[in-house]
Amino acid sequence: MSSHLKDLATSHSAKRTDDSLFLPDFCNIRMVFAVVMIAQLLAFILVLGPQGNQTDRWVNLSLTSLFIQWVALSSIGLLCLCRRVMKHWENYLAGIISYLLVLAVTIILSEVAYIMTEHKGLHTLLTASWRSEFILRNLAISAIVSAVALRYFYVQHQLKHNIVAESRARVQALQARIRPHFLFNSMNTIASLTRSKPALAEEVVEDLADLFRVSLTDSDKPVTITKELELSRHYLNIEKLRLGQRLTIQWMLEDLPDDASILPLTIQPLLENAIYHGIEPLTENGTIIITGRRVDQSIEFTISNPVPPYLPVTRRNSNQMAMANIRERLLIHYGKKGLLETGHSGDRFVARLVIPYVREKQ
Amino acid sequence: MKILITDDEELARSRVRALLEDIGDINIVGEAHNGKEALNKCHRLNPDIVLLDIRMPGMDGLETALHLATLENPPAVIFTTAYGDHALEAFETNAVDYLLKPVRQQRLRQALEKTHHLNRAQLLALKQADNEDHIRTHICIQRHDSIQLIAMSEVIYFLADQKYVTVRHTDGEVLIEEPLVSLEQEFAGKFTRIHRNALISNAFLKGVEKDKDGTHSAILRDCDERLTVSRRHVAILRKKIRAMGK
Repeated sequence: MSSHLKDLATSHSAKRTDDSLFLPDFCNIRMVFAVVMIAQLLAFILVLGPQGNQTDRWVNLSLTSLFIQWVALSSIGLLCLCRRVMKHWENYLAGIISYLLVLAVTIILSEVAYIMTEHKGLHTLLTASWRSEFILRNLAISAIVSAVALRYFYVQHQLKHNIVAESRARVQALQARIRPHFLFNSMNTIASLTRSKPALAEEVVEDLADLFRVSLTDSDKPVTITKELELSRHYLNIEKLRLGQRLTIQWMLEDLPDDASILPLTIQPLLENAIYHGIEPLTENGTIIITGRRVDQSIEFTISNPVPPYLPVTRRNSNQMAMANIRERLLIHYGKKGLLETGHSGDRFVARLVIPYVREKQ
Repeated sequence: MKILITDDEELARSRVRALLEDIGDINIVGEAHNGKEALNKCHRLNPDIVLLDIRMPGMDGLETALHLATLENPPAVIFTTAYGDHALEAFETNAVDYLLKPVRQQRLRQALEKTHHLNRAQLLALKQADNEDHIRTHICIQRHDSIQLIAMSEVIYFLADQKYVTVRHTDGEVLIEEPLVSLEQEFAGKFTRIHRNALISNAFLKGVEKDKDGTHSAILRDCDERLTVSRRHVAILRKKIRAMGK
């Protein structure tokens, strides 16, 4: 199941990078049809407005329609061609350029239309106004309509983007839950201890229950740091029993405020990673070092593990998912004040988690 | 029935031991913590059956099974695993027995009753199913009195000479009977072909040197010997050195 979920997640992220431009694909036939319809409606609105010469309304409609369709189709044609270039740009830049493109098309075509109508003697039918007034009027209409259209495309794109992001977060949340491997290994530990040390087996069951209670809740409400650390200790108790002397834990916590809050399951998955990638594949014994301290208005944790010289291929994949999940949750809750960095320090792998010091609400 | 228990977790071993003792009429000849130890103990103790955990540090269960199959008197293998190894799919199609942890006594009893020896084809299928790029972490050499395991990370080069291939490692050299081509395929990415008869470890590669007579040779870390680089491999090797220098 996990590989299936991973596929889902990667396909989502691939989709996102592809569609980061808010402008739709104007070459799409459905898009062309929609634009033609909107342009025609605009022509109706313009012709229905109060006009001096009532008798010429039908002629007026046909000419106005012709002109608007011309502008609309030329604009989307141009935008369609430019999309390939613009899709690598920031949205605001692409927006401004598209807007200017549409306005430029309007000016040029107004100019052309003016000259043509003059030639055909239709001048008086289309408009009696001066050339500059004709162009300015068209420009104003085009400016308003295309601004509304661009805004609409932007809002719709944001909406779609949010839906994708939300489902991606949900997939990641599912994946971030405690690894099934851990569950079954713990079950095996319990089965073994039940014979030899029933009291210890009981303890493992209690620890496991606490862990799953937290991991199976849907809410992502912050808890006190004390509580998250307690949960982490429960988790480490189980792993310590399983791995024996292969695992040594070194806690280095310095005056962490009791009332500070943290998202649940932020430290525990980092510990799980450290054990999965740093201790389990290690032929020798290894130590996980956890530090925690307050730095001004933020709280910083580091979790480090040894790096095994040889890592089986099967173990490499899962690391990124847990990290990505924590990062996304940090971003949602703390914005830029939350941070998760990873890197190598000497021969150890270090994960550094920084969160703002927020007091737990009572 | 002589059985060897292999698992990197003590509690897992003690549980299987307890189950086996309950079944009775079984002689547990020993316990091993990892693949290497299992290989050595098999060689020494000659068990009929090896219970082999799949996930172990260093050499995993599948690789251990592959090496076990080359023993003169190979034991039958029953794999144990906790969850979700994709090798499980291969077990089903290849009729290799595996037990899910926590192991049920009844399943263990069944598995013991119908144990059979893995043949090489089954093992190869397992190896492929386990992972397309599953490569050995050790080279296993058998002598009549002992087993020698050389970590791939310590191999400096392979040099072919007619029937045999010399494996030069940080602690000496041994002869194996595998074709250089299959070694090249298996360790592609970690080893580079520099000559019709030579394959060198990227990790030990230091540079290329041009001699007075125009032939090129590879300079290797922890090794005084110079290996000849054939003309058509010089450019590839240079590129590799440059890429590593970055």
